[in-house]
Amino acid sequence: MIVGFGVFILALLKKSDDLKRGGLAVLFAIALVSLPTYMTGYSAQKSVKGMPGIAQGVVDLHQRSALMAMIFMEATGVAAWYGLWHSRRRMRSGAANTAAVLLLGAITIGLMSSAANVGGEIRHPEILATPETIPATEGLLAPHWLASDFITKYQYSHPWAWKTLETIHFMGLCLLFGVVLVGNMRLLGWMRNAPLEGFHRLLPWGVWGFVANAVTGMLFFIGQAFQYIENPAFHWKMLCILLAGADVLYLTWHDEVWELRANQTAPPMVKILAASQIVLWIGVIYFGRMLPYLGDAF
Amino acid sequence: MAVLQWIQNLRISTSIAESDSLWWGYAWWLFIHAVGMGLTAGLGFIVCLRLLGVGRQIPVSSFRVLFPLFWIGFYVNLLSGTLLFMTDATGIARVWELYAKLVCLGLALVVMSRLRRFIDSDQSEGAIPPQIRSMAYACIVLWLAVITSGRLIAYAVEANGATI
Repeated sequence: MIVGFGVFILALLKKSDDLKRGGLAVLFAIALVSLPTYMTGYSAQKSVKGMPGIAQGVVDLHQRSALMAMIFMEATGVAAWYGLWHSRRRMRSGAANTAAVLLLGAITIGLMSSAANVGGEIRHPEILATPETIPATEGLLAPHWLASDFITKYQYSHPWAWKTLETIHFMGLCLLFGVVLVGNMRLLGWMRNAPLEGFHRLLPWGVWGFVANAVTGMLFFIGQAFQYIENPAFHWKMLCILLAGADVLYLTWHDEVWELRANQTAPPMVKILAASQIVLWIGVIYFGRMLPYLGDAF
Repeated sequence: MAVLQWIQNLRISTSIAESDSLWWGYAWWLFIHAVGMGLTAGLGFIVCLRLLGVGRQIPVSSFRVLFPLFWIGFYVNLLSGTLLFMTDATGIARVWELYAKLVCLGLALVVMSRLRRFIDSDQSEGAIPPQIRSMAYACIVLWLAVITSGRLIAYAVEANGATI
C-alpha cells in the first residue's frame, strides 16, 4: 500500500503519466488482495480465541479498525481504477480523481497503521500500558456498528436484511456478467464492426456491479464468517475472483487491446485471456451457488 | 392440488430433489438457472444501457448478435426453472412471488422483443427515439423485478416450511 501510494506521489512530483499509472495499478491490485486478506483475520481470530493472555476486547477492536481500514482501501481501489480508466480515454485523469486517490490513500494508510498497532497488542499485552488505553482509538476510527457481533445480530433480528443483500448480490451479478460477456465477446471476434472504445465506456457499469457484490458479499462474510472460512467452495470462489481481477488488470494495462478499432481483431494472447475471463466468472457463479452444497453455508 | 402432487412425485422430480450429485441434483440446476439469469437479465441490461446512451461508439446494429444468446439464456432458464419448480411443485405454486415473477418476466420479454425489432430495423442507425428510451428504462426495472421476485420465491417457500 505504501509502495503504491509512494509511486503515485513520486509520479505526481515528476509529472510522469506512466509512473502514475503504475502507482494506480498497484493500488488497485492491493485493494483486490485486501478482500481475502481481511477474511483471513477470522481464521486467526478463531485460533487465538480462548488462548491465555489474549484480551478479547483488543481482538474485537482490531477487527473493527481493520474493517474500517479495508473500507477506505476499497474506496481507494475504486478511485485508482477510475484513474486508470480515464487514462485510457486519452484524457488526463482529472484533478478530482488525483485528489480522491491522494486523500483516500492517506486515510487508508493512517487507518491501517492504527489497526496494525492494535493488532500488535493482541499477542503482546505487555505493551498495553493500561487497559484504559483501549477505548482511546474507539469511536470514529472503529465504530461499534462495524463489529462482527453487531452485524451478525442485526442480520438475525432483521430477516429482511439478508434477503435484501442477496437480491442486490444477484442484481450486481447480472450487471457484472453482462459487461464481462459483451466486452470479452468483442475481443473474441463478435461485434467486430464496433470499436473497443465503446465497450470501454461500459466498464464502469461492470465495476459498480462488482462493488455492489463486494459490499454485499463482505456483509454476508462478516455476519456469518464461520460458514465461509473453512468452506472449499468459498476458497475456489475467491481464487476465481482474484484470477479474474488479474485478467482485468492485465487487459487494462495492455495498450494493444485498447487500440482495437472497428473491424480489427485482437491478438491471440488477448483472446485467450478474454475466454478465460468468461470462464472464470462462470466459475465464480458456480462456486457461489455451491456454497451451501459443497460447504454448509446458507 | 392433485396435479401438483403428481408433478412432484414424477421420477424426474424426485431424482433431482433427492440427488446429491453435483451434475444433476438441485444444486446443479440452481447454478444453471443463475447462468441463464446472467445471460438474459445481464444482456438485457447491456442492450438497455446502450439504448440509453452508454457506449455510443458501439453501433446499435452490432448488438443484433446478442439476441440469439439472450434467447439461449431464456430457454435454458425455462428448462431449469421448470425442473426446479417440479421438485417442489406443491410448495412453490402456493407463493404469490412466483406469479409476480412470471408476470414481470412476460412483460420484460414483450419489451425486449419490441427493442429487438427496433435494433433489427434500419432506424437503429439514427438517433434513439424517446419511446425506445422509455422502453429501455422500463425494461431495466422489469428485469430488476424479475430478479427480486425470483429471489423472494426461495424465502417464501422456506417460510412456508418446504422440504428443500
